[in-house]
Amino acid sequence: MINRLPEWAQPVAEYMLHTGLRNTLIIAGTSVFLAVVLGVLLGTLLTIRFLPLQAAIRLYIEVWRGLPIIVTIFILFFGLPTLADELNVEALRLSEIKAAILGLSLWGSAQIAEATRGAVQSIPREQHEAAAALGFRWVGTHVFVILPQALRRLLPPLVSLSVNIIQNSTLAQILGVAELLETAERSTERLSFPTVDPTTLSVEGGDPHALQIYGAVMVIFFLISFPLTRLAAYLERRLV
Amino acid sequence: MTVLADFDWSYIWEHRDELLHGLRLTLEISAIGIFGAFVVGLTLGAARAHRVPVISQIAAVYVEVIRNTPILVQIFLLFFGLPRLSEHLKFEPFTYAWLAVVIWGGAFNTENFRAGFEAVPKRYREAGLALGFSPFRTFLNITLPIGFRISLPSSINTYISVLKNTALLTAVAIPELTNTALDLLATDFRTWEMLAVLAVTYLTLVWGLSFLIRLLERRLAVPEFT
Repeated sequence: MINRLPEWAQPVAEYMLHTGLRNTLIIAGTSVFLAVVLGVLLGTLLTIRFLPLQAAIRLYIEVWRGLPIIVTIFILFFGLPTLADELNVEALRLSEIKAAILGLSLWGSAQIAEATRGAVQSIPREQHEAAAALGFRWVGTHVFVILPQALRRLLPPLVSLSVNIIQNSTLAQILGVAELLETAERSTERLSFPTVDPTTLSVEGGDPHALQIYGAVMVIFFLISFPLTRLAAYLERRLV
Repeated sequence: MTVLADFDWSYIWEHRDELLHGLRLTLEISAIGIFGAFVVGLTLGAARAHRVPVISQIAAVYVEVIRNTPILVQIFLLFFGLPRLSEHLKFEPFTYAWLAVVIWGGAFNTENFRAGFEAVPKRYREAGLALGFSPFRTFLNITLPIGFRISLPSSINTYISVLKNTALLTAVAIPELTNTALDLLATDFRTWEMLAVLAVTYLTLVWGLSFLIRLLERRLAVPEFT
């Protein structure tokens, strides 16, 4: 398919798909995974009636949902390294891609926590009582009885969250991570410099092709997101 | 912790002019964005709900394209792609900036308003028509006031997102709040001072707005639909 493109576009397409799209999928995949694990855990804990715990989780949710994700990413990327010096914890010196993944995960986990709380609370009280009668304690009740049933309700918000995280993975561009948008930007910049053929001395290029390249990025994201938003709408109708 | 002990309030105070200027730009772009999203959403949402031919289909495509692509890519396409399309499409950065958030918010709001208008029971509309209102009058007097209130919670979430999305304009060097704070951070390395300014300002704006909205929601909620 790449061979059919005009000559200038072939290396661009290759770079954008092999490096850019790959990194985008890595960032999005890792962030969705972390967001789900953290979010389901926090959301379930939020159903426990213990005020200090509820207040702490509420604060977590409201802070990460309230901040623009890019500000969260800046806090992680610029703020944490100063603490790394202080506490001598090198792990706090996050790379660009790790800061982006963690920022997206914090935001995503806040969304999932809220959805999980609702889903867990929608499970009838009898289920808790039945689990207790079977001898399950709190962890067993939730892991084996409540959460599997809550998952049905969680599925549509989970798919929507994946769409959101895939789209917001472009924020990594601002830190210079070579994801899809950044590879696109680098390509337009490279193309905007004219090249001189050393034998004929003819000047070539100098056109960034910004419209085509960013248009292609739009198309790629649309092709990924559109089926997923349809799926989320379908699940919403089917499951709830 | 020396990070806390080092925290230099006076640094923030000394640079209050730059920061306030950035905040002003953030608020200006947000205000235009929110107002624009309201107008676009209302018009196209009404066209979608009433299946106005052609406009409704175009609006559907517009909504799907914007909702299924990242806003940052939309911003790049506007800033770097649009000027290459035609000489007439070369504007000031500020114009592109508000255009980007209006286009984004408008798409989400179209969907909010469409859902709101469609939730107005058909019999209300029929009653309006039976009273001799023209279809447009029926919309203005019946569907709009009720549908608007039904769609209020979701559209307000969109407005909050519009405000938060203005932070992304830092990627194209619009000197709004985030950009200003980052510039200062890069010059003087007062990392936590600037991050604190950003976090506190955005949280105040977002939390304040959602608090106001909950008050408004309670006052404006249509009893039958909550």
